Amino acid sequence: MSEPDEVADGLDHQLDPRVIPMQRIAGGIFMAVVMLVALAGMIIVLLVGDDLARWQRLLMPVGWLVLAAFAALFASRWPAIHYRHTAYRVDGRGIEIRQGVLWRVVIHVPRSRVQHIDVSQGPLERRYGLGTLVLYTAGTDHAKVALAGVEHGRALRIREHLLPSGAGDAV
Amino acid sequence: MPSEQRLHPATLLFDLAGHIKRFAVPAILVIVGATRSSGGPGGSFGGIPAGWEVWLLVLFVPAMLVSVARYLSFRLHYDDHELVIRSGLVFRNVRHIPFARIQNVDAVENVFHRFFGVAEVRVETGGGKEEEARLRVLPRTAFDEMRRHVLRERAAGPQVGPDDATGPAPEAAGQTLVHLPLRELLLCGFLENKGMVLVGAAAGVIWESGLGNRLMGQVFGGSDALSRSFFREVMRGIFDGGPLPLARMGLGLAAVIAFLLIVRILSMAWALLRLYDFRLTRLDEDLRTEYGLLTRVTATVPIRRVQTITVRAGPLHRWLKRATVHVETAGGAGAKSAAPMREWLAPLIRQEDLPALLQGVLPGFDVAAMAWQPLHPRAFARAVKPKLILDAIVTLVAAATIGWGAIGVAILLLPWSIVSARQYVKHLAWAESDEMVVMRSGWIWQRMTVARVNKIQAVALHQSPFDRRAAMARVRIDTAGAGEFAHRVDVPYLDSRVARGLFERLSAQAANTAFRW
Repeated sequence: MSEPDEVADGLDHQLDPRVIPMQRIAGGIFMAVVMLVALAGMIIVLLVGDDLARWQRLLMPVGWLVLAAFAALFASRWPAIHYRHTAYRVDGRGIEIRQGVLWRVVIHVPRSRVQHIDVSQGPLERRYGLGTLVLYTAGTDHAKVALAGVEHGRALRIREHLLPSGAGDAV
Repeated sequence: MPSEQRLHPATLLFDLAGHIKRFAVPAILVIVGATRSSGGPGGSFGGIPAGWEVWLLVLFVPAMLVSVARYLSFRLHYDDHELVIRSGLVFRNVRHIPFARIQNVDAVENVFHRFFGVAEVRVETGGGKEEEARLRVLPRTAFDEMRRHVLRERAAGPQVGPDDATGPAPEAAGQTLVHLPLRELLLCGFLENKGMVLVGAAAGVIWESGLGNRLMGQVFGGSDALSRSFFREVMRGIFDGGPLPLARMGLGLAAVIAFLLIVRILSMAWALLRLYDFRLTRLDEDLRTEYGLLTRVTATVPIRRVQTITVRAGPLHRWLKRATVHVETAGGAGAKSAAPMREWLAPLIRQEDLPALLQGVLPGFDVAAMAWQPLHPRAFARAVKPKLILDAIVTLVAAATIGWGAIGVAILLLPWSIVSARQYVKHLAWAESDEMVVMRSGWIWQRMTVARVNKIQAVALHQSPFDRRAAMARVRIDTAGAGEFAHRVDVPYLDSRVARGLFERLSAQAANTAFRW
């Protein structure tokens, strides 16, 4: 803690806004896969099931369409809601992460308790220049605390700031 | 003091025993197989003479040679500040372990070890996945000497203040915190009820062997069908006012009571074997436990590695004014460190001695002086709701299956839900000081957990939608070594402002202390 770190400003920060389009794509892909599997299952049932009543045959595609509409809506809307409810704050003491839309959790990890830190990047994250910060502590429940959707360079700076800079630090 | 030490010659004997144990299963297979050999004229390996499997035992010889080589090459000596272990005949290995880095010197002695006056010694340091050195087997005196070295170095180490000029810590000056005499030991066995584990194992065996059915049959008069008719008779007796099979009911009841008694007696025997002469001593910064009748275990827990302390007291414990104390330690050393370690601090202690023990382990901690804080005033309303919903579901299911009898179910469930929720909220309390945070909970089985602030890994503030509606929150503290089902500091139903304050304070305090393993 010799020179003031620019990331350790003690202010609440939101994630990088680019996380919203990124999560829309990721969620869209996931939902598309799920709905395609459901579609395949439905087609098989329709082809094989001879004893289905007419209304059952009609209901299934309608049901699938409704579900698909919900999935599409969820994939497009959820990232923005999630974005609004996620924030983090880094200061000299450590990092505080708040997450969760319905079930909200605020986690504070003191700087001196961080064992090691990963900054990972998936293919989509690389495209958007984002990274996932993963903190490891010696605890049990929160042995691994992840914060996805931080600008990659910033994630690296947070890592530099949080990692113990020498013996006797923060005593 | 000899400058170099070897392992005790009995090492070879123990290695031999170990190999025999390891080879026992294959050897038995060999002996059984040799009578119906796969070699010989009719066997699958036609050309090989019958009984060739016996030759597999030749593998035993190299294993033993390795043992001899290890014994001959092993040297141990003490430098000024480190323990030096040389081993290996072909590939030579010299390992230096500074005394200051040694966390634990543990010893295990079983009956055979004690016969030879030796012990299996494990030297553990902070890092790594496994113990730094496993010395099988050292003379008992060498173990004491090693411990003396380590302790002296630690006493002179930099982490202790300058006031240790009073001289090196004398070995025998440990302060005995807990000692279990025979009476307490048996009581402990009685209360712990470990016998159930043995009974479970025995029940499995009996069931497998088909002995169970015969036993049941004898108690309930003949065959399986009859024993079922016994229960039907009882049911009819209760609901339709028919004649009750009193004689057989009495017999059954007596059997149940006898069974419970036997379980308790088994548990007492377990306590006698496992915890015989339990002794907890404090030596400077270490807690040392020693226990066991046949296998004697000496374990050391450095006080600074204690993560949380949990005090438990069931109804019988409270009636007898007793409690049990566990510590959770974590990490640092040993292959087992990945999993949390729970250790006895006191298998049984009088409640009046409890504050002194806690003081001894956590200086400055006084249970009586803790200002216990209750939950939110409306916590009961929150706590009772899930129980009522569950009751409603159970009652509805009951109504669907047994009809009007569901009213009886509801009459039984409702008061229990209300009373248990009321008592749960009443007994849940938390307290904090500069160095500790404490939570106690439980109505019938009461538990109290003390976590030191410098052992807090992370603090979390949880808010469910229901919490938000009631302006409440839950504060949860994460420590190393808290098992999945361990009692931990996790306070629900707090006023959200109180929770926020606690969260902020604990975060700040935790951040201001350094964590050391």
